[in-house]
Amino acid sequence: MSRFSSTFGATAMAALFAVSPAFADGEYAILMKTLANPFWGAMGEGVEAGAEEAGVAYIVQSVESDQAVENQLNVCNTMLERNPVALVTAAINSTNLLPCLKAAQEAGIKLVDLDGNLDPAILEQEGIDITFSIGSDNVKAGGQGAEYMVEQLGADAEGPVLVIEGLSGNVTGQKRAQGFADTLAELAPGLEIVASLPGDWDRGKAASITNDILTRNPDLKGIFAANDGMALGAVESVYAAGKGGEVVIIGVDGNSDAVKSIEQGRLTASVAQLPYLVGKQAVENVKVAVDGGEVEEHITVPTLVLTKEVMDAGTEPLLEYVK
Amino acid sequence: MTPTSTQGKPAPSLWKRLQAGSIEQLHVRLESLIVLIVLAGIMAMLSPFFLSVSNFLNILLATSTIGVLAIAATFVIGSGGLDLSLGSVMGLSGVVGAYVGVNWGLPMPIAVAACIGAGAAAGFVNGTIVTRAYVPAFIVTLGMLGIARGLALVISDGRVIYGLPPSMVYLGQGRPLSIPMPVIIFVTTAIVMHCVLAYTRYGRHTLAIGDSENAARTAGINIERHRRSLYTLSGALAGLGGLLFTARINAGDPTAGLTYELTAITAAIIGGTNLFGGRGSILGTMVGALIMGVLQNGLNLLAVQSYYQQMAIGAVLILAVFIDQYQLRKETRV
Repeated sequence: MSRFSSTFGATAMAALFAVSPAFADGEYAILMKTLANPFWGAMGEGVEAGAEEAGVAYIVQSVESDQAVENQLNVCNTMLERNPVALVTAAINSTNLLPCLKAAQEAGIKLVDLDGNLDPAILEQEGIDITFSIGSDNVKAGGQGAEYMVEQLGADAEGPVLVIEGLSGNVTGQKRAQGFADTLAELAPGLEIVASLPGDWDRGKAASITNDILTRNPDLKGIFAANDGMALGAVESVYAAGKGGEVVIIGVDGNSDAVKSIEQGRLTASVAQLPYLVGKQAVENVKVAVDGGEVEEHITVPTLVLTKEVMDAGTEPLLEYVK
Repeated sequence: MTPTSTQGKPAPSLWKRLQAGSIEQLHVRLESLIVLIVLAGIMAMLSPFFLSVSNFLNILLATSTIGVLAIAATFVIGSGGLDLSLGSVMGLSGVVGAYVGVNWGLPMPIAVAACIGAGAAAGFVNGTIVTRAYVPAFIVTLGMLGIARGLALVISDGRVIYGLPPSMVYLGQGRPLSIPMPVIIFVTTAIVMHCVLAYTRYGRHTLAIGDSENAARTAGINIERHRRSLYTLSGALAGLGGLLFTARINAGDPTAGLTYELTAITAAIIGGTNLFGGRGSILGTMVGALIMGVLQNGLNLLAVQSYYQQMAIGAVLILAVFIDQYQLRKETRV
């Protein structure tokens, strides 16, 4: 036994020394969801780039999945032991990190909400004051989708439009769909939303919804989906029904699959979120706040309508941040 | 561990005597204790933040939910059974408790009772089907894993139920004498259940059934009734785990406890519970759970990515069982 325990101990120690980072005062603690999701992965890269550029010490931690609510709280508590000056969190839901945020506030640590995962009403109820929240404006992203659709179809266009929402009850999906519907009604009253259905972020489900609606409304003019995966599902159904190129299809996110589809001329556009930029600007603003400067309470990172023209031209400065 | 069979041989070595003493006095394998101490020593050397009272409480707090489930796993596995529904039942219980406390607005004691009761009910169903319908425990509890998770999503409509009564939140976030409430509940439960398993007839029967069902039957133990009570106990403990979780995050989360059953079983096995029954102790399981807790906490403090933590825990699990097997072979060879 002793042979094994000593071998194990030595190996473990060697492994740990190899990965053990340096400690520093004034560290920024950044807590993500899972980096396995490309969106969060890109945001994590932005955080690292921003921190290195600003020359601040930082640690980034993540958890194994988007469902690991308790473990994220545990990791958060552990991070506090390192006495960081700022705690930047992308909470898995609006409540799971509250005890940790409270303790951090008591310790005088600056709190930042990454990508708007916290609920202002709940924060107020719990007496938690965050320094700022940063993320994309989902209502505006939906609105941009509607603007581009109207640009393609014309303000006096008439006909049915389909909206595919996210998971029922999910705030992000609701905001995008709402933003789209409001702007569309304003810009092109002739375009009527004939159905607004939850696609549960699921490509297959979005494809079936599109199929059903195409059967009912063969003259469908446009489809807006609350994320790219669902938009790509809709694209498949539209092409399968022999209506490829006749329906304007717009998604949200700007992920790599969507970029490919836009290049091939199948998906019309995607309102790209720029997670890399969100991460980078978050750290930059934390530095301003830590150094005693003024920071806006809600920082909105712009979204970009990605189309074939925009990508072919390649002159849009924000394109650099599309990953 | 098998008793040291040293008849007709020279006096046992110091190592052997320490091993035997650890088992007899503490019901903990010496090897797991050493791994825990060595691990804590390594972490203390590597991280200046590791050795502090607040971090020690942190580790216990992070271990509390999984620890309660691991107690349940030890009882069931010790009896030669298996409960794969622990994590889902925990999620269901938390949602039921939150629903009763928030949507129905009933007082805290009733919500707490509903939480633990829901777990016990699920466990009773498991136990009844296993013992009366003769469906293997693996299948029954795997089915319950799906049923309980689905039911939790149905009751909560797939959403988090937020805003528990303050007295319920206190059970998860309160700190009397600056000790977190979940730690107090967890440690108390562990001590009580340790005594039940190690010193009572109920505990002896549990391990006897796991050791040899036929022998236990011959000895007059009502195996069916005992098994059913074990699954009910397991469910009730999962309910307690759900209560701690729910009170801690102040919300009934239908996705709570995903894959926790596997982590709980891992803690029990690292702590020396025999996967096929007949051997196990709660203190041993607590050492197993703490090994995992210390590993996670230390790696978090060192800012090691979470993916490596999963690898480390997997490796410790295999190593623990390997040491066990290695010793067993050595003993039978001599």
